[in-house]
Amino acid sequence: MAKLTLDDLRRLRDEKKKVMSQRSAEGKRAEIVIGMGTCGIAAGAKAVFDAFLDEMSKAGIEDVVIKQTGCMGLCFSEPTVEVLCDDMPHVVYGNVDDKTARRIVREHLAGKALVSDHIFDKPSTDIIKNAGK
Amino acid sequence: MHATLCDLMTDLIQNAVEADAAVIELIIREAEENLEFEVRDNGKGMNSETKAKATDPFYSDGRKHAHRRMGLGLPFLFQTAEAAAGEASIESEEGRGTVIRFCAKTRHVDLPPFGDFAGAAAMMLTLLPEGEMTIARTVNGAGYTLSRRELEDALGDLRSAGKLKLLKAYIASQEEDLRKAG
Repeated sequence: MAKLTLDDLRRLRDEKKKVMSQRSAEGKRAEIVIGMGTCGIAAGAKAVFDAFLDEMSKAGIEDVVIKQTGCMGLCFSEPTVEVLCDDMPHVVYGNVDDKTARRIVREHLAGKALVSDHIFDKPSTDIIKNAGK
Repeated sequence: MHATLCDLMTDLIQNAVEADAAVIELIIREAEENLEFEVRDNGKGMNSETKAKATDPFYSDGRKHAHRRMGLGLPFLFQTAEAAAGEASIESEEGRGTVIRFCAKTRHVDLPPFGDFAGAAAMMLTLLPEGEMTIARTVNGAGYTLSRRELEDALGDLRSAGKLKLLKAYIASQEEDLRKAG
């Protein structure tokens, strides 16, 4: 790969902007928050971040916001990931590894179904029972 | 313990974010003999009593989690430095900020692997909700710098999946260029 410059980044941003403006007609917000306290980092939050980026790239998802926060107080279930989508219940997933992160992208973000076996903070029992469908 | 040096750095950046820093600098110098990095922030800093306890794994200031009695980030850093024939230090002043330094022998058998810097740096640059974060990375005298403000000027808000992917590719290309120079 040739060394990229800031001007290259501007050009790539403009190319992506054209694609994104065609896709963002829905106007729905989606945000992922990864726990990056000492506990999250030690449990593999970096690999989870990489998996989210890679799987979203494969799925053509550009506009989901990925944020990071400190310890959420759930050290025993790290890495933890909070997912906030406008049309879905807000959930915190626990014990998220590379594979689970990819499932969250495919099933939760793209498929609009909760990844029930990794939900730490249950939104409500009826939603879990129906796996978010 | 953290698996990589990048994890240790990320942990220090997260500490700076939690100390309400508006400006964070990460400086990394790799050479044949020594590997050093330091994190400088202008956050709330520590008084001498807190600083003295900061390397105790059974101490936490309890501000974020009231009943927590452990804080492992800095102890991990000191333990890693000592294991790899190096040292770590804390310089801090309440109300002014903190400087954390780490140094170890580059080829020491107990030094953890460096880790994937492109991904880690993309995370570190976007940890701070807003403000400036710079990274100055040098390997055997050759180097490059990253500035969150400059990158935001080029890309806009960095925290969407598409922008993060571009940011990671940009840093990977700097790393590749650095390795060629070395």
